[in-house]
Amino acid sequence: MTRLVPPPLLSALKSGFGTPLASLLTFLAAGLVLTVSWSAAGWLFVNAVWPWQAAEACQVNTGICWPFLVEKARFILFGTYPAGQHMRPAVVSVLLIALTVITCRQMTGKPPHLSPVQLICAWLVTVPLCFVLMGGGVFGLEPVDPVRWNGMPILLMLSVIAIVLAFPLGLALALARTQTTHKGLSWAAAGYVEATRAVPMLTVIFVGIFVLPLTLPEGMSISPVTATLVALIFFHASYFAEDIRSGLISLPRGQTEAARSLGLSYWQSIFFVGLPQAIRRALPALVNSMIGAYKDTSLVIVVGILDLTATARASFGDPGWRDHALEAYGLVGVWFFLSCAYLSSVGRSLHKQTKG
Amino acid sequence: MKLVLSSLVAAMTAAAASPALAGPVLDEIKEKDQLICLVNPNSPGFSVPDSNGVYQGFNTDFCRMAAAAILGDAGKADIRGIGFSDSMKTLVADGAHMASRSITATGTRDADAGMAFVATTFYDGQGFMIPKSIGVTSATQLEGATVCAEDGSTTLLNIADWFSDRTISYRVENIADKTARLEAFFNGKCDVYASDVTALLSDRLLSDTPEAYTILPEVISAEPLTLVTQPDQALEAAVFWAFQVMLNADVYGITSDNVDQIIADLGSYPKAVNRLFAEDSATAEMAEKLGLPQDWAYQVISQVGAYSEVFEKHLGKETAFGLELNETANALTADGGQMYAYPIR
Repeated sequence: MTRLVPPPLLSALKSGFGTPLASLLTFLAAGLVLTVSWSAAGWLFVNAVWPWQAAEACQVNTGICWPFLVEKARFILFGTYPAGQHMRPAVVSVLLIALTVITCRQMTGKPPHLSPVQLICAWLVTVPLCFVLMGGGVFGLEPVDPVRWNGMPILLMLSVIAIVLAFPLGLALALARTQTTHKGLSWAAAGYVEATRAVPMLTVIFVGIFVLPLTLPEGMSISPVTATLVALIFFHASYFAEDIRSGLISLPRGQTEAARSLGLSYWQSIFFVGLPQAIRRALPALVNSMIGAYKDTSLVIVVGILDLTATARASFGDPGWRDHALEAYGLVGVWFFLSCAYLSSVGRSLHKQTKG
Repeated sequence: MKLVLSSLVAAMTAAAASPALAGPVLDEIKEKDQLICLVNPNSPGFSVPDSNGVYQGFNTDFCRMAAAAILGDAGKADIRGIGFSDSMKTLVADGAHMASRSITATGTRDADAGMAFVATTFYDGQGFMIPKSIGVTSATQLEGATVCAEDGSTTLLNIADWFSDRTISYRVENIADKTARLEAFFNGKCDVYASDVTALLSDRLLSDTPEAYTILPEVISAEPLTLVTQPDQALEAAVFWAFQVMLNADVYGITSDNVDQIIADLGSYPKAVNRLFAEDSATAEMAEKLGLPQDWAYQVISQVGAYSEVFEKHLGKETAFGLELNETANALTADGGQMYAYPIR
C-alpha cells in the first residue's frame, strides 16, 4: 500500500492556514518579518552611504555610514595601541584565531593533522609569545603599557587563552571530584567548583583586579590584564569541570572496570578509556560553556580593560562621528555572531562524529 | 672662550640648583623624559581617541601643556585612558604623574594623601534639560516629573538632595548607557534629562530637533573640574603656573599663531607680556628655580595655545558641542566668567 505524501508546499500551506488561529498567526508573523526586513533593507542598502562616498553624505542619509567603518576599523580593532606598531596586535590576533581554528579542525578530524603533543606545544609557545609581542621591551620591541592593549587582541587573549588554560584545570577538577580513593581531594574539588559557580563573574573579575595583587609577595606586581586573565581561568575552570564530570558519571561503570580488569592502571584506564568517551559525551555542554565564556569576556570593561566592545563605543565618542553608534555596535555584533556561529558549527560536527 | 665659560657656569649652577629645589616627582618626569597623564578613556570633547588611537580633547591638552612646560615638548605626554577609581589608585601608587579627567575638587578628596588638586580648568554645574513642549520654566515646577540620569553617579545624589530640600516628588529612570539614556529622553520616556550643564548643551545637539529642548536656569551643584598631580611642590607649581600662562595669554591676546611674531618684536608690547617671554622675565626666573626649560612659557603657548584656543578647538562653536566660551563660567573674569589670570612676575 502506498501512501500519498503531500508536496512540501501543500503541507506548509496546510500548517500555516489550517485553522483561523493559524492563519491569523501566519499573517502577524509575516507582517512582522516584512516590517523588520523593510527597515533593515532601507538602512543597509537604500539609504546607505557606500565606502567610496564622502563622509559628509552621512549627515544627510539615514542609512549605514560605511565611511565611518572605514575610518574607524583600525581603531575598533586595536584601540590606543601605538599606531606605528599595529603589526604586533595584528599578529597576536591572527595567531590566536589561527591556532583556535587549527585546534577546532583537529578535534573534528580535519587537516592539518597534528599530534596532541604538537598542538599542546603550539599553545605553550603561543600564549607567552602573545604577551611578549603585546608588551615588548625585549628583542628591540618598543615597550607598550597594558593600558594600551585594546580591542580585538585583548578580547582574544582574555577569551581564548583563558579557555585554553581553564580546560586542563577543569579536567583535573572533574577527575578529582569523581575519584573515590581520596575523599578529602574529592570534597576540596567539589567545594571549589560549587563556590566559584555560586558567585557572579563580575565578582570574580573584581577579586582578580583588587584582591589578587594583595596576595602577591612584596615587590611583585601584576598588570590588570594578567590579573583578570588569572581570575577568568579559575572561573571558567569550574564550569568546564562540571561539563566533564557530567560526561564521566554518564559512563557505564563497566567501561573503567573492564579496563582495570585488563590490567590497565588507574591513570591508563582514565586516559585511554574513561576520558576520551567522557569528553565526547560532554562536548555539547563544553562547547556551550565555551561560547558563554567567550561572550562574557566583554564584561572586563568594568575594570577598565578596553576590549572590542569598548573600542567600538569609543569610536563613536569621537566628536566628529557621534551619530554612528549603530554601525559600531553592528560591526561588533557581526564579529561575535560569526565567531560564535563557527564555534557552534564545530560543536555540531563533533556531535555528528560522536553519533557516527 | 668667555661664552663657553659662562654657559658652563650657567649649566653648573643649573645642575647644582635643580636637584636641590625640584621635587622628586618632577625629577622623575625629567629623568624619564616622559610625563604620564591619565584621562577618561571615553569622554567626547574632553578626551576620546581619534582614528589613530591618540587621545584628543580639552582635557588631554592640559596633559600636553604640562609636558610642554616641564619637558619642552607637548608630544612627550604619555596620555593613558583609564577609569576613575583606577586612575586615583594609579596616581597614588606612582603609576602616573598627573590626571586630567574632569575630577571635581572636593574637600574630602583633597584631604586624601597621595594626590593634590592643582588648577581648575573647567567650571561646570549640574542642570536640567526639558522638552519645551512641557511648558516648564523653572526646576521648582517639576513636581511628579520622571528624571533620566546616570545610574550610580553623583548626579542622582545631587538630584535627591535638591528635590528633597524643596519637597518635590519625582521619579528616576535609571539607564546606565548614555546613548540609550538620551534616546529614552528624546523619545519622551522621561520628562527631564539631568547632567552637567556643558554636557547638556552638547547632548542637546544629538537630537534631530535640538531647538525643541531647553535648559532650565537652575544649576544645582558646583563642579570645579580640576587637574590632579602627585603631591610634589615643584610639579604642582609648574602645572599651576603653566595654566596661568595660558590664561594670561588670553588676557593679552596672545595665541599659538601670533606668539612668534610677538616675541620677534617684544619691546613694543606691554610689560606683562615681556614678563612672560623675555630672557630675564619672571618665567625665566621660575624656570631656574623649578628646573624647567628656560622658555617654558613660550613652549606652552606655541605648542598648546591660550586657554580660549584650547576651548574653541575642542568644545567651541566650530565643534559638535557648539559651546560659546563667554556664555559659560569659563570666560575670563573680565568677560563675566570665573577664570582669573594670576599675575606672572
